[in-house]
Amino acid sequence: MKALEREPDDRMLIEAAQRERSHFAELYEQNFHRVYTFIARRAAGREEAQDLTAEVFHQALASLETFKWQGTPFIAWLYGIATNVLAAHWHKLGRDPDQLSEDWEQGGTDEIERRAMLAELVESLLPDQRMVIVRRFIEQRSIREVAQELGRSEGAIKQLQLRALESLRDKVGRKI
Amino acid sequence: MNRQAIADELDSQVEMLLRGRDGVRTASDPLLKLGAELIVLPSPEFRSRLKDELLEPSRGFGSATASFEQVSASGLEGIAPLLGGKGPSLFPADHRSFLVSFASHAALIALIASGIFVVRNTTVKPTSLTSELTYPLAGQGGGGSGDHSAVQVSRGTPPKFSDQQLAPPAIVVRNPEPKLAVDAHLLGPPDIKLPQSNNIGDLVSSNIVMPSNGSGAGGAAGDGSGPGLGSGKGPGVGSGNNGGYGGGPFRPSTGVMAPRAIYNPEPEYSDEARRVKHQGVVVLSLIVDPQGQARNIRVARSLGMGLDEKAIDAVKKWRFAPGTKDGLPVAVQVNVEVNFRLY
Repeated sequence: MKALEREPDDRMLIEAAQRERSHFAELYEQNFHRVYTFIARRAAGREEAQDLTAEVFHQALASLETFKWQGTPFIAWLYGIATNVLAAHWHKLGRDPDQLSEDWEQGGTDEIERRAMLAELVESLLPDQRMVIVRRFIEQRSIREVAQELGRSEGAIKQLQLRALESLRDKVGRKI
Repeated sequence: MNRQAIADELDSQVEMLLRGRDGVRTASDPLLKLGAELIVLPSPEFRSRLKDELLEPSRGFGSATASFEQVSASGLEGIAPLLGGKGPSLFPADHRSFLVSFASHAALIALIASGIFVVRNTTVKPTSLTSELTYPLAGQGGGGSGDHSAVQVSRGTPPKFSDQQLAPPAIVVRNPEPKLAVDAHLLGPPDIKLPQSNNIGDLVSSNIVMPSNGSGAGGAAGDGSGPGLGSGKGPGVGSGNNGGYGGGPFRPSTGVMAPRAIYNPEPEYSDEARRVKHQGVVVLSLIVDPQGQARNIRVARSLGMGLDEKAIDAVKKWRFAPGTKDGLPVAVQVNVEVNFRLY
């Protein structure tokens, strides 16, 4: 699988964010899915994954001023914070934080890249297809609820769901 | 199996997948395998909420002083400061800090409860789009075509617009005795009024001498490639790709469905306006592009005191189900009312 192309201007973005916090938005957008996936693989559920992901980004933003560029991708720094956040969380739950490093070595990076790619491909779908994918799979709404929201028949939503999945499958195929 | 039956069958498998039941063919069906991966993706709403939370100005930059190295080294306890003041933070914690913080928060809550602070409330009317507007003068005005003539299309005026185009305009008629004679029209709202004369042609052409259909390729007149007039590709007039006239976006009208806001976080109130209890409606004019994002946002009715900027900031974050024409997403110009109220 082709890894997602790494943004070459990490350093510029970091320096911009250090000068003006609103530029952190760029770093956030570039790395959100990877951090979320990293956390979600180890979290008990969506809510826990969201809480821990939020914690990682809050910590990253709070300590960004002290970050010194040494050529390492920004995502590596974020993974470091995420590991600490997870370790603290596991410690609180009585789990062994050492499992984190084992888990990391078991092909975790490929899965993270694939999920991040999938999330970006969902955003590239046509708006109505994207809406069905988000409502149906991510928010796990019923066909009836989605049909009511979009003002279309249940049959039409099922067809839209089929087209959206086919489109995603094709897009994934082109990326791999 | 027809398409609907395939969609029904897929959906029943998706339903089982969502309910975590056994027997789902995720291993053999790539679409279901994809569905299983989609379930664990984060919600876009969470992603956008967290971003707003992070960039909220009230959360001071550098409020936590631990560097990356310090966070890593401090390990488990470094993650959150301890209320008891024994945490491994950079500076020793002071119990009095907690008391001061508690007291100040309690005082603030008391102030709010006493009504000294005005609660802000903004209401947004995303549905109040200007659907009463008629078909645009500036549509995605079409373009024309010709018959590969070496001479530029003749200057003249376009024929009338019609909802249906049965015959495209032509200056040099190649078939003078058609079996079924119909008037030439351009596709667009019939109420569009353009200059009229006896000579059909392109208003902007410099060829005022020789009759010519132009260098395009579509059997009409012009230098473009559609059954219209002009340099574009559509059945209208101008440089665009569709019916109508001009090169801009559509506006809601017959056959053009208005976009609909599907994610519309509320705008913030500006401090200045809140202080003097300034209220009202900001009207923004914008184009919703085919991807459902707001572009070219302009203030159509200003409210001032920083509320125009707040309205623009909010609408930039909105996401729309795009407007459609003939079932396809198109750029549509709309007005959006953002209502600021204090009570």
